[in-house]
Amino acid sequence: MNKMKIFAGILLFGSLWGFSESIIGSALSDIGLPAGAIMTGFFALTFLVISRMFYKQPGMQLGMGVIAGALRLFNPFAGCHLCSALAIMAEGAIFEIIWYKISFDLIELKTVTTQASMGILTSYIVYVGGYIVTQILTPIISGLGFYFENLIALMPNILSSGLLPALIGGVVLPATILVKKVDFTVKDRLYYPTTIGISVLCWCIVVGSWFLIGA
Amino acid sequence: MISGKEKTIPILAITVLLLGVFSALYVNATQVNKDTIAINGNEYTIDQLFSMCNKRIIETDEGEKTGIALDELMLKAGVGCPACHNYIIKAEDKYQQTVSWDILKTGILTDYSRVFFPDTAHTFWVRNVIEIEVK
Repeated sequence: MNKMKIFAGILLFGSLWGFSESIIGSALSDIGLPAGAIMTGFFALTFLVISRMFYKQPGMQLGMGVIAGALRLFNPFAGCHLCSALAIMAEGAIFEIIWYKISFDLIELKTVTTQASMGILTSYIVYVGGYIVTQILTPIISGLGFYFENLIALMPNILSSGLLPALIGGVVLPATILVKKVDFTVKDRLYYPTTIGISVLCWCIVVGSWFLIGA
Repeated sequence: MISGKEKTIPILAITVLLLGVFSALYVNATQVNKDTIAINGNEYTIDQLFSMCNKRIIETDEGEKTGIALDELMLKAGVGCPACHNYIIKAEDKYQQTVSWDILKTGILTDYSRVFFPDTAHTFWVRNVIEIEVK
């Protein structure tokens, strides 16, 4: 697959992920649902796995995390924008590390048990890892200094908070793998207009909302 | 035949689930529920704190927030040389953040036990504060 096509894919899936985090995540949070767990266990895992299945390109999910995190900085609603953006970027990188040894045709994940286990494992580590990274980097980037004792005190909470995304991931991954059987072939002449059009739409909605509500 | 990864992945999944469950049990068992806030070693109710200090309104990126000034609170709580210390703000769920005097003096404590600072990331806006430790 040529590089431009992959870059357009990174832009598309990163933008969809960032849009979900900013708009859907904020809406879930407003109605009192555990938005972070749902975002990682359902939306992030779905976009990360689908992009990996269809593009079979190492490094792509890292790029998606950067795009999604950048978009999350423009979240027009309340919350810690920097923390969430850092967590999303870290999640993309952590996903790459966990899936490094998994083949692109997913031959290791033949049985539903293995698929569910991989969903649990991925969601848990991605969520907990993103949480830890943001607890370290947010104070550092804010210029207020990182205190290791604060992270240690919070570790039981962080480790327990990964439980819900893990359970969601255990259901979502086997369901996402079923999508592999669907033929998603897009004609070349439609590929760039579709990917770039959807990406631009995601950015326009989030950044537009930021100007209307947040700025 | 089951390959190495097909055996390892479920074992690792069970391990992280157990880690999550035991951590949740630990968090639940050690959660502190109290109606007072410890400042510099002394316990105060939120009403006592509000009667000790003047109210201050600060502007944050989430709008105006009203509470008592943390700098005045530290002085009233008997902290000597406030600029010489760091302050660990602790929540009932063990979440905590450490801030210097330069940051603390810009902040407020609300009547629902949350601290706000005008110019920091929201990660420093600790909820359900139960202690401010002077280090």
